[in-house]
Amino acid sequence: MEVNGSSSETIEVITAEPLDVVDLLSQAHHPGAGAVVLFSGEVRDSNKGRDVACLEYESYTPLAVKMIHDILAEAREKWGLRVAIAQHRIGRLSIGESAVVVITAAAHRHEAYEANQHIIHRIKHEVPIWKCEYFSDGAHQWGNNCNC
Amino acid sequence: MKIHVYAKLKDYFSPEFELDAVARNTDELKLRLLEINEEARQILDSCRFAIEEGFIDHDHKLKENDTVIIIPPSSGG
Repeated sequence: MEVNGSSSETIEVITAEPLDVVDLLSQAHHPGAGAVVLFSGEVRDSNKGRDVACLEYESYTPLAVKMIHDILAEAREKWGLRVAIAQHRIGRLSIGESAVVVITAAAHRHEAYEANQHIIHRIKHEVPIWKCEYFSDGAHQWGNNCNC
Repeated sequence: MKIHVYAKLKDYFSPEFELDAVARNTDELKLRLLEINEEARQILDSCRFAIEEGFIDHDHKLKENDTVIIIPPSSGG
């Protein structure tokens, strides 16, 4: 593992493969980090009273990749993070699968928590990634905006 | 000019298509798209536009051989 906080550069930030949360976490340890925060956004079985069968995500990948790298770099700088990792899945996901993972490691927990929330907020609201909900009754609906 | 659309915009347009009409900027492009499907007005008003890896402003000068990406509001996570 690199010790300058750049280990996340080698992680594919958009992937069609299932996210390996444990493997990602294993890459987030750092001798200068006393706090590691991991957020995993997972597919819920209902939304606004409707049963959800599965979700599908798509992205405009060239721009999404660039934006996620920029967001991570800004967060590393602002909070002095030792490690900042994000990975978002695209394609069809079943209930309980992880759609997005953000991991932040810092000297202390305050920075790690705050940076983690900042990163996931920006990924949800700014990065060109979209969610389509498929409901148990056969209907589907693209998310116009994040409602979480 | 090539147009790529994503997510909810695919309910109104083909995912990828060629636009023969002239659009000098994204304001004009929006008008051309509304001529194809007027029902897309609301969603188009909330979209951003991009070329390759960067967003473009409404006065960015479009070229005939550009591929313009139309980006609805994000809903990742």
